[in-house]
Amino acid sequence: MQPLGGGWYLVVDGDKQWRVAVAAEGDATWVFVDGQVARLAATGAGPARGRARSRGDGGVMAPMPATVVAINTSPGQPVQEGDTVIVLEAMKMEMPIKSPRAGIVKAVNCAKGDLVQPGVSLLEIE
Amino acid sequence: MIKRLLIANRGEIARRIIRACRELGVETVAVYSDADAKSPHVAEADQAVHIGAAAARFSYLNIEAIIEAAHAGHADAVHPGYGFLSERAPFVRACESAGLIFVGPPASALEKMGSKTGARALMAGAKVPVVPGETPDDQSDEALKAAAERVGFPVLIKPAAGGGGIGMKAVRDAASFGEALAAARREANAAFGNDTLYVERLIEQPRHVEIQVFADSHGNTVHVFERECSAQRRHQKVVEESPCAALSPAVRQRMGVAAVAAARAVGYVNAGTCEFLLEGSGDSANFYFLEMNTRLQVEHPVTECVTGIDLVHVQLRVASGEPLPFTQGGLSQRGHAIECRIYAEDPSQGFIPQAGPILLYSEPQGPGIRVDSGVKSGTDVSVHYDPLLAKLIVHAPTREAARRRAITALGEYAILGIRTNIPFLLQILDHPQFVKAAIDTGFLDRESAALAAAIPTTIPTAVLAAVEAHRSGASARAAEAMDDQAIDPFTTLRGWRG
Repeated sequence: MQPLGGGWYLVVDGDKQWRVAVAAEGDATWVFVDGQVARLAATGAGPARGRARSRGDGGVMAPMPATVVAINTSPGQPVQEGDTVIVLEAMKMEMPIKSPRAGIVKAVNCAKGDLVQPGVSLLEIE
Repeated sequence: MIKRLLIANRGEIARRIIRACRELGVETVAVYSDADAKSPHVAEADQAVHIGAAAARFSYLNIEAIIEAAHAGHADAVHPGYGFLSERAPFVRACESAGLIFVGPPASALEKMGSKTGARALMAGAKVPVVPGETPDDQSDEALKAAAERVGFPVLIKPAAGGGGIGMKAVRDAASFGEALAAARREANAAFGNDTLYVERLIEQPRHVEIQVFADSHGNTVHVFERECSAQRRHQKVVEESPCAALSPAVRQRMGVAAVAAARAVGYVNAGTCEFLLEGSGDSANFYFLEMNTRLQVEHPVTECVTGIDLVHVQLRVASGEPLPFTQGGLSQRGHAIECRIYAEDPSQGFIPQAGPILLYSEPQGPGIRVDSGVKSGTDVSVHYDPLLAKLIVHAPTREAARRRAITALGEYAILGIRTNIPFLLQILDHPQFVKAAIDTGFLDRESAALAAAIPTTIPTAVLAAVEAHRSGASARAAEAMDDQAIDPFTTLRGWRG
């Protein structure tokens, strides 16, 4: 194993060798080899990706920073699994946010035009 | 000749135009928003002018701020790039009335082509074939639905103003028309400030083939051959190439003639592109005019590779009043070029756009490899703009050689810190249908889930030695988690460089 500078390393294993690029992001490490990219989480750091998903404890979350362009439901309304409950827009593309399950909308925590952050609950379903 | 050019754009296209200007001895003025103060295009211009807040409507879409920047920077001309204000007639008129040369078509040509409905009528008059469709004057939900039923499902709803696939929705039946219509309206309004829609017949399994045209202000109009752009995901082009494998010389000739007729019909000047749907292949193929993009295209480099023409150089010369430096008879295609668009998106998470800092950036280099990029190590990819980071363009004597060159180059293209579609591009280039050039515009929408699922999720275990070296204190424990998955103790990646 030989550092090549600028985050690049030459890894030799028997009769094979790879040029590998490495970059640290906090406790996690990004690795590149042969067009392939992996993000390695540090031990005990929880899930490998801190990304919020639009499912969980009855909450609906934004997958990335985005603007709310439509809210298709309101508190007290029933929703079915897969219903488009909120439409977000980021990078010029609309992203429909579907209900993760059937239930009654308990609260809507955002308004049309809001810039919402990932990991924040947009809508609660019970 | 233009002396000092303001580039009303950002990212890779701003850098590509700056480079052309350097070569021609034209000085450059870059513009930037709050989010782009440290972007490469800002550092590379002769001068850079701040034009506003990060959101595009306060900066790159702000006509007043850009005209002011042109005056402040003593520019005598403006190049709009693509996207943003490039196809907005009010911007062209604002440039003209400010005494600035607009590097592009006259506002009148842009207006005629900018309205898809008006363009359809003009094209029909110029004997350019068009897809059946209509734009009801009454834009109510009911009237649009009735129009869809007259045209016949499946239909495509499109914004009358605009392009790039924004606001475009395919609808298979009357039941799902309502939701698609609402989304198309919102996207059209947000992107173009105009929510007029039209409905046209969806041609099943067509190819997207476009013809580059070029006209000067002396009455010369030529075509510069085709680009095949069928590899699109949700109407966003992903891989483009030239020539198109499905075009016979006779059909290529007829499409070229139709594209020149289209350009002449609107009094076109400078570089433009006529997009066609191609139905079938060989001598029996039919083609239908879709729209004209009244600007330089993202994928223009594949044309530059196969024809040897620098389209931006010619744009600047034509805008300065010079005649075209070539005639139709002097143009030919040589070899094969493929462009891969590098997007900040995560193929394994439904292609969700990515934002954040690029920790490491390293481009491939070698014979026949060109990278047009808007980023470097340390660039913070913003949520405010298009996720296109860069374009890899390869040129080789044959399609197969170009395909293998692209695969090799992508395998050397390192971007760390945010996810990109590079692993997905590698899967596309290796797909049997792509290998045979047997693709249509639905190819990626049908295959992208399977292609994304086929992306290897493991890396050779030995490579972890580099991680250990890089992270003092970190050891084999880093191997415990990789992307939510355990690392298999194997040493080669399947199908690699197959």
